[in-house]
Amino acid sequence: MVRAAQAGMAKYFPDMRSVVVNSDGGSTDGTVEAFEEAMVEDFNSLFIPHRVSPLLKIYTPYHGIPGKGSAFRTIFEIAKELGVKACAVVDSDLRSITPEWIDLLLSPVLKEGYDFTAPYYLRHKFDGTITNSIVYPLTRALYGKRIRQPIGGDFGFTGELAKFYLEDESVWDSDIARFGIDIWMTTTAIANNFKVCQSFLGAKIHAPKEPSSDLSDMLRQVVGVLFDLMGKHEEKWVDIEGSEPTAMFGFRYDVGLEPIHVNIERMIETFIIGREELGSIWEAALPESLIWFLHSLKPSPWQDFRLSSEIWAEIIYYFAIAYHRTLVNKTHLLKSLTPLYLARTASFINEALQCNATEVEKILEETCLRFEEKKAYLIENWE
Amino acid sequence: MKTGNKNKEDRIENFINKVIEPFESFFESVLQYLTNILSFALIIAVGLVLGHVLKFLSLRLFRLMRIDAYSERGEITAMLRRGGITEPLSSLLARAARWLTVFVFFIIALGALQVPRVEQLLEEFFLYIPNIIVSVIIVFLGYMLSNFLARAVLIASVNAGIRASGLISKLARFGVLAFTVSMALEQLGIGKDTIVAAFTIIFGGIVLTLALAFGLGARDAAKEYLESRLRKSEEPKKEAKDDEFTHL
Repeated sequence: MVRAAQAGMAKYFPDMRSVVVNSDGGSTDGTVEAFEEAMVEDFNSLFIPHRVSPLLKIYTPYHGIPGKGSAFRTIFEIAKELGVKACAVVDSDLRSITPEWIDLLLSPVLKEGYDFTAPYYLRHKFDGTITNSIVYPLTRALYGKRIRQPIGGDFGFTGELAKFYLEDESVWDSDIARFGIDIWMTTTAIANNFKVCQSFLGAKIHAPKEPSSDLSDMLRQVVGVLFDLMGKHEEKWVDIEGSEPTAMFGFRYDVGLEPIHVNIERMIETFIIGREELGSIWEAALPESLIWFLHSLKPSPWQDFRLSSEIWAEIIYYFAIAYHRTLVNKTHLLKSLTPLYLARTASFINEALQCNATEVEKILEETCLRFEEKKAYLIENWE
Repeated sequence: MKTGNKNKEDRIENFINKVIEPFESFFESVLQYLTNILSFALIIAVGLVLGHVLKFLSLRLFRLMRIDAYSERGEITAMLRRGGITEPLSSLLARAARWLTVFVFFIIALGALQVPRVEQLLEEFFLYIPNIIVSVIIVFLGYMLSNFLARAVLIASVNAGIRASGLISKLARFGVLAFTVSMALEQLGIGKDTIVAAFTIIFGGIVLTLALAFGLGARDAAKEYLESRLRKSEEPKKEAKDDEFTHL
């Protein structure tokens, strides 16, 4: 990652001074040593013939709640102190990063006058299900901007925007300090009228995920921040109808993605257990007709299991309203969404099982349109 | 002769006085008691009127504070409904304010009766009141905590795909409630040692039962579970075998 950043800066921004920051939560797995030692040794092999100024590296442990958001806060503070023109943040466990990513994330900001670059990846059709089924459709319907990967995690932005992110001190004690940082950065940029674009980065491949990452907790943090931001930016989204495309940079190409295994039956089983046990919480958020519909869903054969995008959009809007009105304890409400999310994921996988990438995008487009159509209902019942 | 008559008159007067005195004393006592009863009745009447006024005022205040909406959000309404109480919390609190006022005036009125035994009982009762208040608070907080924890356990176990989620949740609720009741009774000083011993025996019994059930009854399941856990810790990459996609 460090070598990719160094090569990217040397190749695409040779006249600019750069700093690579590792904002670390106290790793003991050799990350610090790897960061210190990482260095491009042969620039000629990367077709960089000119003289390259030495790379300045800053390693700093972050403070506050352990999580990605706290790490980003430290980076924003360093960017502010150094008075940088532009900043790019990337996950440290990326396997597919290339020097071009630095160009693609920073050039729209430095050369095209944009304030914020969101990533656009090629991912397996079943990857990023929280993004595909909740974050992208909801962000698009609310704020009217089609940003395909609002929680991609790798962004480019101006130094001014980094300063803006630091203005609200209160957010760093919330879930924004954890998984919620990505959606907060994107939504804050859109809602405050910063110029936003996307860059095509190709495939996104991470190091194998940590077994301890809990889906229910991830969902709670991301959706909780999303719902909180709905309350905060209410006056900005109520008048928006439909959505518009966002500028896209980079050369689009196809990549081969390895097949992955999914256990649909287990997802459906979790939904069925949730349907039997979580009735009292769901009833506080969902109308009787939806509860009845959920009870009418047949778990077998699993290949026929469907939870339509229309019903799904309604469920998310009802949950957003219940969250806004605090009809149930907020943490319990968000965590009780997991079985429903798994039901929708199982349904989506069933639908997309035989589809190619283009057909899958069509299914997602349909989902987004249902969210846009149902937005009137959300506005009507918000207060 | 005159002296003899005088003595006779004195004796008669003395006799009359001795006869009348108890009547006078009785009459005074009755009068005093009637005054006390009148004070008692008057204080009760004032308490009833004041209680009614306080109920009206507090109801207005609680509604102004939107206490019903907060109780709905804080799941207090649901808790009351589960206990068969359908009345709004504002109305309940207003009624409680009324009866508390009446109760306080009743206690004051009992004091006005000036009956030594009643006064002694009142003194003992007043000394016991803090224990009752603390016990009520313990039971209330314990009930709230049991509901919260039971729901949290239920959601966590459902999300983990455990079929017996309902049972696990009920056990969590029962555990917290049992602990709460034992604490409250201990506070009241009722069967102190018996409760502690009973709680220890029940709790220990449950743990032993579960251990035996898991170790003997579900020996194969326990073996499989432990083996799978050990295998997982040895081969962390196999964790993602079932679902290999990332959600974010």
